[in-house]
Amino acid sequence: MVFTNDDVGVKRLLLWIAAVSSIAAAFLLLMPDGMTRETPADGRVHLRYWTIIGMKEIIPYFATSFSTVQDRIVVDTTPIPWQEHEKKILTSIVSGNPPDVVNQITPVPKWAARRALVPLDDYIRRDRLDTTMFFPSLWEEMRYRNKIYGIPVYSGSYALFYNRALFRQAGLDPDRPPQSWEEIFALNRRLVRRNERGQILTMGFIPNYGNVQTFMLMAWQRGAQFLAPDGMHVQVADSTVVGALQWIERFYSEYRQQDVAAFLGGMGFADQHGFIAGKVAMMILDSSFPDQIRLYKPSLDYGVAMVPTFPGLPSASVSGSWWLGIPRGAKHPDEAWEFIKHAVSKESQLLEIERTEESLFPANRYAAEDPRFMNTPAREIFVRMMDFSHSPSVVPLAHDVFWREITGAQERVIHGLQTPAVALQQAQKQIQAILDEAQDYDNFVQMHADNP
Amino acid sequence: MLGFVFASPWIIGFLVFGLYPMVMSFYFSMCRYDVLRIPQFIGLGNYDTLLLRDPYFWTAVGNTLYYTFVRTPLCIAGSLFLAILINRATTGARIYRTVFFLPSIITGVVVSVLWLWLLNPQYGLINSTLQLIGIEGPLWLQSPEWSKPSLVLMSLWSIGGGRMIVFLAALQSVPPHLYEVVELDGGGAWQKFRHVTLPMISPVLFLWVVLEVIFSLQVFTEAYVMTKGGPLNSTLFYNLYLYYKAFDDFDMGYASALAWLLLLFSVLVTFVQFRLGKRWVYYEADPRG
Repeated sequence: MVFTNDDVGVKRLLLWIAAVSSIAAAFLLLMPDGMTRETPADGRVHLRYWTIIGMKEIIPYFATSFSTVQDRIVVDTTPIPWQEHEKKILTSIVSGNPPDVVNQITPVPKWAARRALVPLDDYIRRDRLDTTMFFPSLWEEMRYRNKIYGIPVYSGSYALFYNRALFRQAGLDPDRPPQSWEEIFALNRRLVRRNERGQILTMGFIPNYGNVQTFMLMAWQRGAQFLAPDGMHVQVADSTVVGALQWIERFYSEYRQQDVAAFLGGMGFADQHGFIAGKVAMMILDSSFPDQIRLYKPSLDYGVAMVPTFPGLPSASVSGSWWLGIPRGAKHPDEAWEFIKHAVSKESQLLEIERTEESLFPANRYAAEDPRFMNTPAREIFVRMMDFSHSPSVVPLAHDVFWREITGAQERVIHGLQTPAVALQQAQKQIQAILDEAQDYDNFVQMHADNP
Repeated sequence: MLGFVFASPWIIGFLVFGLYPMVMSFYFSMCRYDVLRIPQFIGLGNYDTLLLRDPYFWTAVGNTLYYTFVRTPLCIAGSLFLAILINRATTGARIYRTVFFLPSIITGVVVSVLWLWLLNPQYGLINSTLQLIGIEGPLWLQSPEWSKPSLVLMSLWSIGGGRMIVFLAALQSVPPHLYEVVELDGGGAWQKFRHVTLPMISPVLFLWVVLEVIFSLQVFTEAYVMTKGGPLNSTLFYNLYLYYKAFDDFDMGYASALAWLLLLFSVLVTFVQFRLGKRWVYYEADPRG
């Protein structure tokens, strides 16, 4: 059949395209119905719960145990790989077909600011939920513009790990972990070992190795407020922060950046991790680490202590909460809330920890303080550290930019390109510019969006 | 008529998944937009910020241009060199061809992880070998001066891949009598290469130069897996920055603006290449027929 360029031909062509497109569109419209919307033949409500998974596909115990405490709601759990999670939730909300409950670790305000979550305050009030059962720092992470958008389930707690064998080798008392940063720096001189070519073989403490930025902990200890109380002005170049970054500068005035970088280049995960391999004697690590040590080097002789601080100042740690939230547009928010309450109860948390291979730290402090959980000296330290914990969500509207800039500023100081004050001023300028834009956008949405 | 019906899956696919997203991304490039909230139209605001106030934009542009203009000549020359060697081989050409081709069948992430270890400053194979001959190797990926050269070096890993095979085919299609003419005139190997080989394979060379420049401008995987843009943003390539803006910050408007600028630049560079190509590319048959 030859296409002729006359009116009839064009009309017929358009007709064909319209017919084929409408068939395709019909398919597209019908598909989600058949595939995702449950028709509960059993007369029960099917909750769709999306959980994050790492290496292994694990269904949380609280999702399976929910059916033992009631029989009205069934939880259908979908494990979503770690890397895909944020994007999947995002697109499901935009398409109007989100799950009923999500498990997330990225900051609550990042989602709440974008109206991705249902505020939970009415539920909390209605059921008089005892919110003091959560560690205060975790609870604060759930807040955005004076409303609560998530409920914390698990967390990590950080503490100082030290290698007792390396302490003994260096002639140090293995029962006396350092308590101040001054001590840490002094210990470094005892613990560093080099080969004949000057390359570092073992080291005491490296402030920029590990998941925690040491200088951020130092800044919190010194009372830094990264955001002014009005929420509009970034105070990254404040003297409390500059003073903290000066400690990093001091470390690198004693050890050449190239030597430390070459040393760190040999670190990896599992048995190649600096602390597990016995190459770094002191590190600030999280509460899942004892399990990693058990897995990769059970013979490691180590101790766990409070994070060091400055004389007279409180310790500091950083917590990141795994939380449960109800996405905007969820079909069964009431049932989702019942499920969340079950997941964070003391008993659920303790059973979950006992029955899973994952190293979990409960967000419920009654669970954490229960002897069933607090059964090692290390866990006692982790629970105590939670009282000094700070939320990593420092500048909610510019969260990722904040951490990128902070890391960048530290890097420029480490490479000797800038002084701490100049580096932090540069970071402050960048974060402020992004925050200003974000606020402008937020105001625009507040004014124009129909859904509050 | 029926032909269009048969082609309609593609037509619909293109309109829905190709054209529509492109049109929308052009619109979003003039908005603030984070997927979940309504877009706020800000005109050329994103472009204005990018070009005038964003220091990372120019860092990313500089890094990407460095990578493109250092890597492209090296990998084209490398592939051509290997192809010439194999072309001259009297025995075992097939074995060499296979051996040279092997690295290129391994995918990007695996190669990146492998090279992380090769380039490891303290334990890596490269620095240990250098140390045997008394050279203290650099920090490679951990050094802001060496990180980009490291990634260029790594990309030469696949010079024996598809590009070399195409060059080899081109070399084998050069008529032997042209070489005989050079010999009769008393020309040597260099004259043969310069006045016969190069002009005869210039269309293939041209094709690969155009393609490699476009590929290099889009460099992403290596930096994402190996360096995350560091140290000191020395490997913050254009697409990596775009990715951070889009999928860390969810600043889709800004990321769209970045994408459109890259497209514009790629088109411009390709256009210039086609203009310059007229001066050095020899088509035996007039391409216009």
